[in-house]
Amino acid sequence: MTEKVPSTARLLVRNFAGNLTGMFGLLVIFLIITSAIFAEEISGYNPNLMDGMSTSLSPSTDHLMGTDQLGRDVFSRVLYGGRNSILIGITASFLGNLIGTVLGAIAGYLGGKIDTVLIRISELFMTFPQLVLVLIFVTIMGQGVNNVIIIFALTGWMTTLRLVRSEFLSLREEAFVEADRAFGFSKKRIIFRHLLPNTMSPIVVAFTINIAIYIIAEAGLSFLGLGVPVTTPTWGNLLSAAQAPVVVEQYWWLWVFPAVAIIAFVTGVNFVGDGLRDVLDPRQRTNAKNKTFAATLREKLFGSRKQTIE
Amino acid sequence: MIAFIIRRVAIMIPMALAISAIIFFASRLSPIDPLNSLISPDAAADATNLAILKERLGFNDPIFVQYFNWLIEIFRGNFGYSIQSGQPISEILALRMPATLELVLAALIISTTLSLLIGLVAGANRGGLTDKFSRVLAAIGISVPDFFIGLALLNIFAYRVSLLPTGQRISPGQVTFIDRLPHLILPVATLSIAMLAVLIRYTRNSVLDTINRDFVKTARSKGLPEWKVMWSHVFRNSLGPVMVLIAFRLPLLVGGAVLVEAVFQWPGIGKTIVEAVTVSDYPVIMVVSLLIAVAILFASFLVDIVKSILDPRVRLGATIE
Repeated sequence: MTEKVPSTARLLVRNFAGNLTGMFGLLVIFLIITSAIFAEEISGYNPNLMDGMSTSLSPSTDHLMGTDQLGRDVFSRVLYGGRNSILIGITASFLGNLIGTVLGAIAGYLGGKIDTVLIRISELFMTFPQLVLVLIFVTIMGQGVNNVIIIFALTGWMTTLRLVRSEFLSLREEAFVEADRAFGFSKKRIIFRHLLPNTMSPIVVAFTINIAIYIIAEAGLSFLGLGVPVTTPTWGNLLSAAQAPVVVEQYWWLWVFPAVAIIAFVTGVNFVGDGLRDVLDPRQRTNAKNKTFAATLREKLFGSRKQTIE
Repeated sequence: MIAFIIRRVAIMIPMALAISAIIFFASRLSPIDPLNSLISPDAAADATNLAILKERLGFNDPIFVQYFNWLIEIFRGNFGYSIQSGQPISEILALRMPATLELVLAALIISTTLSLLIGLVAGANRGGLTDKFSRVLAAIGISVPDFFIGLALLNIFAYRVSLLPTGQRISPGQVTFIDRLPHLILPVATLSIAMLAVLIRYTRNSVLDTINRDFVKTARSKGLPEWKVMWSHVFRNSLGPVMVLIAFRLPLLVGGAVLVEAVFQWPGIGKTIVEAVTVSDYPVIMVVSLLIAVAILFASFLVDIVKSILDPRVRLGATIE
């Protein structure tokens, strides 16, 4: 007689499906990523094809988002730009979180001098405005897609470190960790096999939110002309057209559409992030009023959230 | 109080030194010859001169000695020269710094005042119109790049309706501050909107936290008028956490200024550093980033002092977070 208990993963999927804003965000992300993948088929234009006969056209049925000064189709450039911007956002967020998680785990579990040193280093990094820190690294390493990703990762690990560290600080006093130590497990095994899986929730949320932050950061950096080289279209590179006053004044479609793409995607990512936070990490929930229907239902059925997740 | 200040200074000084060390050693990773940062370009033309200078200026010394020499020069006020223009960096700073200070301070004052007021109203009338408005503003604040807000404002108020200037800090022939005021409006508005979004939400939550405290109930039961309860009990006690957040947001404000200065062609520090990065003018980058970091460090020190005046528990070492 075995009772059917849904797995944690399945529970999470089910709860997330009940989170309206989260699902809406997921839909937006899905639409943008799909259209970025099928960029050529959807827009019908090559993003780098210059057409001298149709330069600086305002949006029309031929060119949904108009054309730029070289006669390139803006819609297809926005879609192709999305590929690179999203790729940069996701990779940089993953790497930055990886650095923050590993260092945070070490700091939180080992404590003592190593902890103090790591916290001090993260404070040093946080004294700089992130953009200024990024600019210093750009001077040393130069521009390019890979460099931008590495630089973002190197300048954006501090919050994850603090997050993971504080989780570890509270977890390492728990009974199951004491049991681990009594068994004589190595520190490495306790940290990575036993403690880390229990801190996954805030890490996943941070990973999602950081994607949004990095996409906006890429836009800013490339707008300044210091991010990805102009030969590779990104949302930020498209926006940098607005460095020219004439573009701000007359060719609004050159900078409004890439910005709308950024805003839509980033809003989607933030919605998913908030939804994940609601489902995964009840302690960090921003507002009890935002509780989803599924969450309320589950609380009634299973008692408090904490029990159902652990 | 004095003991508290001394303790904070004792933390601040090693931090500042560490920052300077990071900047110095990071710059040595750069592929450009550091010699150029200390002499004006015309003196660097002759190769034999260069070798003599290299020895005399201590570039054959161990790198730590070089670092300390650089630090001493900075303290003496010798910031070096720009590779690009050959101009002394101190001159560039004197020229560009006031513009950024003007921008950042105005944005700081306006966004803080507005967000405290709106946040108080939103928190006091939870779920009301102001509360909803602040929620929309917060959503905008996290998902709209601030320079895009700047571009939109520029397009609307400077080009479509020719109400305000399209950029720069001064129009030809204008001298007084009143003349320059219209130039300030759009950049400050852009920077303030970005700050407002976060601050309002935070003030609101802080007010909500305080409203449920016992001393507020006591004040109400004493029969104090509601506005007085709000003003002298709730508001004053909500300020502490908000001050901390403002200190945390300072780097963001300076970072935002870099982008806003680019949008509005504002001749400030942000524009200086962007121009310097574009041509790898790294003596300028070193000094400017050192200056920014130390300024932020000092500002957070000031905030700590103000916080300890507002709340004596801070200086007695109790943690209240």
